[in-house]
Amino acid sequence: MFNLPTPNIGGPELFVLEFGDIVAYFSPYTAVLFVFALIFTMLVIVSRPERQVDIAFGGDAYYTKEVDPDLLRFQRFMAIACGLATLGAMVTGDVFNFTLFASMVGITNIGIVAAYRNRHVLNAAFQYGIVAMLATVPLFGGAAIILANTGTLSMWELFTGAVAVPLFAKAFLVLGVMGEGMAPFYIAKAEITRAQGAPFILMIHVSSLLLFLRVIEIVLSM
Amino acid sequence: MEIAYPVGLVVVAAAIIIGFTALVREKDDLHRILLTDLAEILALVLIALVATDLAEALILPGLVVGISELMAISEVYITKEGLRAPAGPAFRIEVMDSAPGILALILVAYGIVLSGFTGGVIAAVGVVFYFMCRGHAEQFELIETVSGYAWAFWIGAFFIFMFLPGYWFFAVMIAGGAILIKVMAKMSLVGTMRGGGPDV
Repeated sequence: MFNLPTPNIGGPELFVLEFGDIVAYFSPYTAVLFVFALIFTMLVIVSRPERQVDIAFGGDAYYTKEVDPDLLRFQRFMAIACGLATLGAMVTGDVFNFTLFASMVGITNIGIVAAYRNRHVLNAAFQYGIVAMLATVPLFGGAAIILANTGTLSMWELFTGAVAVPLFAKAFLVLGVMGEGMAPFYIAKAEITRAQGAPFILMIHVSSLLLFLRVIEIVLSM
Repeated sequence: MEIAYPVGLVVVAAAIIIGFTALVREKDDLHRILLTDLAEILALVLIALVATDLAEALILPGLVVGISELMAISEVYITKEGLRAPAGPAFRIEVMDSAPGILALILVAYGIVLSGFTGGVIAAVGVVFYFMCRGHAEQFELIETVSGYAWAFWIGAFFIFMFLPGYWFFAVMIAGGAILIKVMAKMSLVGTMRGGGPDV
């Protein structure tokens, strides 16, 4: 029953898990993405945060900044949640589930960034939050238009040649993922990579990269 | 597909253009949060236009995602602006001294008569009004615990529906009462637990 209709894009399916009519699957392509996300989630779980080092100008002295344990715990939790949401987005076989996982990645990204108490970092987090919220309009809108035009949300149906997905809906889906995966841009803007707690920031980049790769596969297959 | 769907799409497209233009022109951060919330309704409208049972089921997760993102960026906004909750009561109106007891009693009693989700909401309005007027020094952990047990009773009632369908009336009574308590407890916590007090 389960034969991936377009094996020339993601490869043939390797593993299929059936929850009623929602069927999660691995193709070689998504399996690689899944393993990549899994590795980085593991790294977040086991790693300890870096301490930021400031060098006193004009001398040999330097001092390290203390990382507040509460802040660290919150940020680590958010980074792990972000990893789990990314894992979900990689394996899901349902377009609406994919949009839900993408917006969950957006929420957890806000959480990771907002853990800092710097004013300019919070400003960037706020701007990103606005963009991520607005992105849910094309994201859910795209899924809804696909549902209205084809009558199904299952990728197994949508990937067959018999079902034509309107280009407009595909564009909406990509636009929505672009909005949710916009976080690295705001990180660069706020120079968060230089703030403390470096390994958790990595999760933002990984999740956004993987979301883009996955949505490209979905859109090409449809 | 009938004519209603394309017409609805055109209306939504116009609304999206208006909403996003407003967002571009607006500079005040607080107003932008509110406009973003308005724009998010359009995503729900797009889902609702499908007008099937499945669309009805998809609206709820969409709504939850929207509300959680709204709460997250509201928290960021509060921290960013360094806003604090006012120390004393925000305003003094005479009715807020005399009314809470009797009004809360009426609302809670009427909510218990209604039972279920609706009753829970009405009873919670009474409780929230009481907390708003009289202040709150209660033990919120207790309310949380009661809410948790009520949820367990609700699930238990569903097991009765599934395994002992003959006792359906008993299960309806349990489910109605439990969901009343759960919704009331959860809603009465809204707006009272934040601020990082000693009990959080």
